[in-house]
Amino acid sequence: MKTLSRLITAVVTLAGIWTSPAFAQIEISAPGQQAIPLALTRFLPLDGVVRPQLAEDLNQVLEADLDLSGLFTLVDPESFLGDANRLGLSSVEVDFGQWRLLRADALIKGGYAVQGDQLTLEARLYDVVGRRQLAGRRYIGKVSDLRRMGHTFSDQILKSMTGEAGPFNTRIAYISNRTGHKELYLMEVDGHNPVRITDHRSIVLNPDFSPRGKELIFTSYKASNPDIYRKETYSGREAKVSAQKGLNIAARYRPDGQEIALTLSRDGNSELYLIGTGGTIHKRLTDAWGIDVDPTWNPNGDQIAFVSDRQGNPHIFILDVVTGQVRRLTKDGKYNATPAWNPKGDRIAFSRLEGGRFDIFTINPDGSDERRLTFGPGNKEHARWSHDSRFLVYSSDEDGKRGIYIMRADGSGSRRVSPAGGDCSHPAWSNEW
Amino acid sequence: MKKHTLRIILSVTLVAAVMCGCAKKPASVVVDPSGEPVVSTMPSEDVAGYGNGSMSDQATGDGSGYGMGTMGDGTVAGLNRIFFEFDQFTLTPEARDILAKNAEYMKANTGLRVRIEGHCDERGSDEYNLALGERRASATKNYMVSLGVDSDRLTIISYGEEMPLDPGRSESAWSQNRRAEFKDAR
Repeated sequence: MKTLSRLITAVVTLAGIWTSPAFAQIEISAPGQQAIPLALTRFLPLDGVVRPQLAEDLNQVLEADLDLSGLFTLVDPESFLGDANRLGLSSVEVDFGQWRLLRADALIKGGYAVQGDQLTLEARLYDVVGRRQLAGRRYIGKVSDLRRMGHTFSDQILKSMTGEAGPFNTRIAYISNRTGHKELYLMEVDGHNPVRITDHRSIVLNPDFSPRGKELIFTSYKASNPDIYRKETYSGREAKVSAQKGLNIAARYRPDGQEIALTLSRDGNSELYLIGTGGTIHKRLTDAWGIDVDPTWNPNGDQIAFVSDRQGNPHIFILDVVTGQVRRLTKDGKYNATPAWNPKGDRIAFSRLEGGRFDIFTINPDGSDERRLTFGPGNKEHARWSHDSRFLVYSSDEDGKRGIYIMRADGSGSRRVSPAGGDCSHPAWSNEW
Repeated sequence: MKKHTLRIILSVTLVAAVMCGCAKKPASVVVDPSGEPVVSTMPSEDVAGYGNGSMSDQATGDGSGYGMGTMGDGTVAGLNRIFFEFDQFTLTPEARDILAKNAEYMKANTGLRVRIEGHCDERGSDEYNLALGERRASATKNYMVSLGVDSDRLTIISYGEEMPLDPGRSESAWSQNRRAEFKDAR
């Protein structure tokens, strides 16, 4: 394994924590509801050396993230006045009057400088009405870290605006068959830099990120049986976790990372089990005629939503891990599958087959307030939440081929993110990377 | 910009960054007493393949010599596949007729050992389909055993929706894919 050159980035936050009451009102649970007019200016050279491609790439990262957030409407750059072309970044140098004229409430300005392969990025977020800086960051790293710096600043912007950071500097794992085999890949949230991380040349399925580190568990037929493997993304190290007779599938880390829920069929029927991270069986969780698969944990790690056909058709049930009691969650539909409990704990996403197509729904854990999020052609399945519960990533074949899409928690703003080539499915969303 | 303060903070940061270079999370290093700048280090980008432009592509090998390319071969000529209804693992009358002939073939070819593969169409949860495929394989095996085939000669595996016969997305394709196959396991 190649040792990676270490990026050292210093981030300087200037001026204390902002306290603008106007922005403190923003409702984070309802993205897309109260869009703030924001002016995103093109970053300018700090050292006089103009690099249009670099500025363009950074602008695209920020624009895509801010658009996905649903918190902003971007002010038309064509209308920008002279201040957009001036580097003055301290709040006394910014001509806030110009930006008020354009009805912008928030403003992003910044600068860049390149020395050799080192990139310095100054990024600022201002409250135009309050004439103050809300966030100031300096990122120092490799030129190749440009996109990462942009995503990190996007996360900072959401944190400054709402009190909770965004999920943009994260990774999405997914399965693609572009090599002719289903293998595990990682990409950035906007689909850039896809990297294949398995070479099993068999069938790799259904990844889940460890909540505690940069590693994943997944199912693979590498040894001619569906077994669970664990892979460290930083070292490439891989180990078999569970290889019981029969199925070893649908593994999900408990939110504390200490145990894994999964489906095993070692006793002749597919049941949910709890195993240690080394694969030792700790507990059998279900004992019912029928198929029990697709566990997903609540944030406390004491309840599991899962799919079972114990009452006929596949439905979502919730198991209390402590008492062993099971209750049925979904009442409607004839085929409900792939539940995903959000990290906030207040919604469960799932997919339902209706009219020959799968669509994504969300529901409260008590069974109330069921909502359909997706419409139109194609099957939408495998929804997973971002760590801030604001967004869902899922697979859809609406374009003919299966791809990875992201939308907001209310179903708005959907967009394809996975690169072209091959069918992509089974996304999983990492914590802060 | 308070250049002097900043320079001090940056040098502190660099020292701190070297010291805690293995930190997984951004670590707050210095809080200026005046409450102004906060300096923190960011973690290195340590995913294989990120940050250095090259990707780790270690040869882990297959280990089994059993890849997709060889699957689909190995079908036993005298044993015919059977098909299932959507989300069902019960054997249709047609399937039972085929299994009766398969059982006779197995009894006539006593050296034969067979792996029964359960398959599903692509609709539905992949995991549910893995479980469903196992049930199809298991129902198939049980029926063969009930017809007098020694259970030791039959093993089962589920491929769920992973190995469709027909990659199309229509009912005619899906009906071909909901099946159990018989593969030579000698």
